[in-house]
Amino acid sequence: MSKNTSNRYVEISNLTKAYPNPFGRDIEVVKDFNMILKKGEIVSVIGHSGCGKSTVLTMVAGLNPISAGELAVEGKQISGPGPDRSVVFQSPCLLPWMTTLENVMLGVKQCYPHGTRKQRRQICEHYLNLVGLADSMHKYPREMSGGMQQRVGIARAIALKPQVLLLDEPFGRLDSLTRMDLQDTILEILDREKITTMVITHDVDEAIYMSDRICMMTNGPEATVGQILEVPFARPRVRADVLDHPRYYDFRFALIAFLEKQEHSKDAHIQAVHEKLQQGSEEPVSA
Amino acid sequence: MSEQTRIEKIKYGLLKTIDVSGFKVFDPVVRLIFGEEPQKQVKDITRFMLMPIVFVCCCLVAWNFIAPRHKTKSGEVPTPAQVWNALTINDTLYDRENEKESDFALSDDQREAKIEEVKTLIETKESESTKLKEELATIEASAKQKKAEALAPLQAEYSELKTTHKEARAKRKIEAESLAEAVTKKKATTEELLTFLRDSSRLKEDEKEKEQIIKDQIAEINNEKPKSLQAAQMASDSAATEVQHLKKRLDYLSSGNRSLKVAKAKDSASSALTELESAKSPAEILAAANTVVKNEERASKIAKQEYPRASTIWFQMWRSLFTVFIGFVLAAVVAIPIGIMCGLNRVAMACLTPIISIFKPVSPVVWLLIFQIVVGAFFPNPETHPFFVFLNSLPIIGRLNANPALIFSACTVAMCALWPALVNTALGVSSVEKDHMNVAKVLRLGLWSRLTKIIIPSSLPLMFAGLRISLGVGWMVLIAAEALSSSEGLGKFVWDEYQNGSSLTFSNILLACFVIGIIGFILDRIMIVLQRAVSFDDGAATV
Repeated sequence: MSKNTSNRYVEISNLTKAYPNPFGRDIEVVKDFNMILKKGEIVSVIGHSGCGKSTVLTMVAGLNPISAGELAVEGKQISGPGPDRSVVFQSPCLLPWMTTLENVMLGVKQCYPHGTRKQRRQICEHYLNLVGLADSMHKYPREMSGGMQQRVGIARAIALKPQVLLLDEPFGRLDSLTRMDLQDTILEILDREKITTMVITHDVDEAIYMSDRICMMTNGPEATVGQILEVPFARPRVRADVLDHPRYYDFRFALIAFLEKQEHSKDAHIQAVHEKLQQGSEEPVSA
Repeated sequence: MSEQTRIEKIKYGLLKTIDVSGFKVFDPVVRLIFGEEPQKQVKDITRFMLMPIVFVCCCLVAWNFIAPRHKTKSGEVPTPAQVWNALTINDTLYDRENEKESDFALSDDQREAKIEEVKTLIETKESESTKLKEELATIEASAKQKKAEALAPLQAEYSELKTTHKEARAKRKIEAESLAEAVTKKKATTEELLTFLRDSSRLKEDEKEKEQIIKDQIAEINNEKPKSLQAAQMASDSAATEVQHLKKRLDYLSSGNRSLKVAKAKDSASSALTELESAKSPAEILAAANTVVKNEERASKIAKQEYPRASTIWFQMWRSLFTVFIGFVLAAVVAIPIGIMCGLNRVAMACLTPIISIFKPVSPVVWLLIFQIVVGAFFPNPETHPFFVFLNSLPIIGRLNANPALIFSACTVAMCALWPALVNTALGVSSVEKDHMNVAKVLRLGLWSRLTKIIIPSSLPLMFAGLRISLGVGWMVLIAAEALSSSEGLGKFVWDEYQNGSSLTFSNILLACFVIGIIGFILDRIMIVLQRAVSFDDGAATV
């Protein structure tokens, strides 16, 4: 693999999502989102809720059609969904009529069409072991807690041997203890498997702990990359060390400052609109 | 300790079974047996088991009270006891058919042993029957006497009343005539005559009314049949029919027996064969040879003959069940693929919507007539058609006498049961969770695995809910279709009873009503169990 493709493993250029508006110009939720991921890098995307983080991820995953812009993985243009970019959704999205093993097997069968039954099973068991579910192979989703279900979701995504792993607020619905547990599990796997990963989150601490870079998104509409923060902590990371690191609070402060500014700018924007309306100006307010 | 957990295991297993089979009412009973919170269970049992039972009993009592008070053209409305009696009668009819069938097929020693058995039975039954007849005669005589005694004073009163009234009328006539005379002599006015005549006509009405009251009383006593007489009559009748049945059995064991008939045909064949050997002229030889062949053919035909069963309620029930099963399977086979197609493809849905909306409300009667014509055209000679020959050669199904009537009844059932299954399947398929579809997209599942792994499993509960409605509709439609088309089945049973007009008619119809209802209930329960077994969001899926 050339150095070029490993440095520019995932290229997202001018990604735009516009929804048609029957009474005017299209509404551009995300506009000109640019980002380049190195191979094996973990990048989080953080922003206020509703700013379009998930839209970016679903577009990268191919579940949401791209309005404009391009997406390339390993130098190859990509369109549509595929197992090369596996997704862990916010809700576990397990098929309730299948056991843990069958849920993982569903994807494995698709990615290893030439493997024997035994090989496939070994692959499933390996990844379920990694996420700590060796004992729950034959349980149905309803028999497991939310955290365990999400572990199955992670095992299913990683068992596909994806080029890019997309995590869409994977811990959003879990309690904080389970969340920390799962963060460690994922980091452990990622450190071993070196999968290029994009994490959507709105949790500042999670973003700092997990990622190499943090992409802060501006508020929508026309949301785009606001700022990028490098987190140069060494891997594998230990939570206590990260928390104790002298620069930890600098990063945290930078993130929160950015997010607060976004909130203020939104207020300021609304203020401006109100003022204009009061002046009776007929000039359309740009969104 | 382990003993305790074992008991606990049994308990929860039982509770789960009850829950899955939809008999949650029995939950507190099981809990009570295992001694869990007895007070609460007893309270639940009284509220949800005893109360319904008491209510149903109240309904039965009300039925028992109201029924005999409504007189109809075909007798009184039968009471629960009469319906129960009809059940036992129909049951014995079924048993007797079974006996005759087995008698018909018996041969050799078994047949002879049976003949002895039946003969002794006939003797005892005949003596019983004559005894009952005598009893009936004495009871009848005493009843007659009692009736006469009761009638005598009434009749005397009636004749007395009649004579006094006659006299009164004659007297009034004379009075009227004299009054008319007085009018001519100007001793009385015409007004007086008119009032007199008006009064006398009113008196005549009154007298007639009085006579009618007594007449009615007499008629009532005449129509009255004491309970003892009724019972004796019934007992004697049933004994007589029993004797008749035994005689019929004897017939099937002797001259009507299959093996004997076959033997007879073979005998005549062999005698014809000896004739053939001794025959001289060509004409004789040809005639003898013809008889040999004919008798051989007859023998082989008779050997294959089955006893021609009369249709009983249980036969009709099995046939109805078979028909509804075929119709239901047809409906499912058509509805599920089309439903899946409609759920997946909006264009397909749009194409089928007009057809569904127009044909869904069409009455089953219309479908029945259409299918009767269409299906009839496929089977010009149903007796020799390979399809029916095949069906009737099957071990159990063969006894149900499949014919075109069964097929078009089943088609009618299918046509009416199709729609709920189709619409529900389409709904189930189109409402697969978006998350699950996203999983399919990410994994790039092909159409087939998308269908079998995601779409069908997730729409199964709704699909089965639709099938459950379909089966209910199908069962209802079938009974009507059978009644209308005289295709053998419970519907025809009801219709035949209505047309027969015997003393049992009304009871039999009510009996059929209960049989149909109970079967419908059982079918529904089966569908509930299936539906729960395929529901993944329910604990039932693992059982």
